[in-house]
Amino acid sequence: MRSESSPPPAAPSIDLLRGLAAQQGVFPTDEDLTGVLGFLEVILPSLVEIERRLPPETAP
Amino acid sequence: MSVAGLARSVRAGALSPREAVAACLERIERLDGELNAFLSVRADAALAEAETAPAGPLRGVPVAVKDVIDVAGERTTAASRILAEHVAAADAECVRRLRAAGAVVVGKLNTHEFAFGAMTTSPHFGPAHNPWALERICGGSSGGSAAAVAADLVPAALGTDTAGSIRIPACLCGVTGLRPTTGLVPIGGTVPVSWSLDTVGPLARSAADCALLLSVLAGQPYDVAGGARGLRVGVVDSLFERADPAVAAGVLEAVEELRRLGAALEPVEPPLLEESGTINQLLMLPEAAEVHLRWLRSRLADYGADVRARLLAGLLLPATAHVTGLRARRWYGDELERVFDRVDVLVCPEMPVVAPPIGEDTVELRGERLPYRLALIPFNSPWSLAGLPVASVPAGFVSGLPVGLAIVGRRGDDETVLRVAAALQQATDWHERRPPLVERSAHAA
Repeated sequence: MRSESSPPPAAPSIDLLRGLAAQQGVFPTDEDLTGVLGFLEVILPSLVEIERRLPPETAP
Repeated sequence: MSVAGLARSVRAGALSPREAVAACLERIERLDGELNAFLSVRADAALAEAETAPAGPLRGVPVAVKDVIDVAGERTTAASRILAEHVAAADAECVRRLRAAGAVVVGKLNTHEFAFGAMTTSPHFGPAHNPWALERICGGSSGGSAAAVAADLVPAALGTDTAGSIRIPACLCGVTGLRPTTGLVPIGGTVPVSWSLDTVGPLARSAADCALLLSVLAGQPYDVAGGARGLRVGVVDSLFERADPAVAAGVLEAVEELRRLGAALEPVEPPLLEESGTINQLLMLPEAAEVHLRWLRSRLADYGADVRARLLAGLLLPATAHVTGLRARRWYGDELERVFDRVDVLVCPEMPVVAPPIGEDTVELRGERLPYRLALIPFNSPWSLAGLPVASVPAGFVSGLPVGLAIVGRRGDDETVLRVAAALQQATDWHERRPPLVERSAHAA
């Protein structure tokens, strides 16, 4: 389990996103994936902060 | 004419259902060329159905529905290339209920592609134009619904709302819209965005008309009488501080009107306002990607660029992000519920800005230029995420463009939201104002 002092996950690269999409049978262009990066660059840092603050006992 | 007024006239025999429908069709024919609010008009079918409209509270009332909602035998395109030729086999449950109450569906309304965006600028069907300024967007995704009501093409329309899609266009077009409590109105027969966040709701000129429609859609009565006296209204100061100053000042006028009507105002800071936008995305994006997976595999190039990017973002978020979103939604909901121990409703600006020009995807907000889609999230996502009922009601004008007040209620207390909205509308006339386009047309007719 990641400790609170561990560094946040690195932003994904276009190559990584292309590979993850291909694993699911989806084949976007680099231009598409640049657009995706725009979304992920906003969401992922906030996700890390939510993971940090979310009370551990909270069930869905 | 209002929904209630039309229904009364039909009941009294002063107007036939066919006359009511024909009048709407004539206005659509005259004005929609400039608006592009409708994706399809079923003129002959609607006139025929008007002759046999069943007795009910909406007998003879013409309505139109967003083109993600099925009407048997008609195309449901979702303003997309992918569903451009898709014909619905049966009515959506919400449409079935409207028709059983006597309403007549006159057509299907423009939307952001797959209801997955807040502009209503489909690259496949063209943008809907704001009746208050044709070069500006209507908001979205139910932009055609709001434009059609604002321009008096129909007295009421249905929209869908996942993260603001009824409220945003209602605000930017100067009409009243209600996102009901999640789950109150069945969503069967609609093209989904997100299974856990989607809602169907009404747009009309007034809260009283929205209440009448909701009574039919939800199958239970809603009484908007009672006024605002004695109600506790929490004012979300931080959202007023975040909105454009002119918009905030305009909406505060509406809040002050509630005070004059006897409501008790107090400042409130809801918890996790920033985080709620992200939590909403953690749920909505993967759920939408799952809905679209087969087309992402087979027809990726057929999406507009913005919708394609959103869907791919949902596909490529880590699986754990969705689970974190589910847990965080519970955390957020529990925290927010405590706020409603102190107040009956919350109020804030529905949108931080007026309608931007078509083609402009950024807005200027307090000296900062930022993406339109990011600017609106804190004003909309907090309430959808918790499944709360929210009305957007007209609250004045800035530079000739409408601004709106959001009224947020407890989960399941749609009635109090509508009651506050109706009280405000009995004391003001913002919701009765017509765009210049309609005024010119009335003089020319």
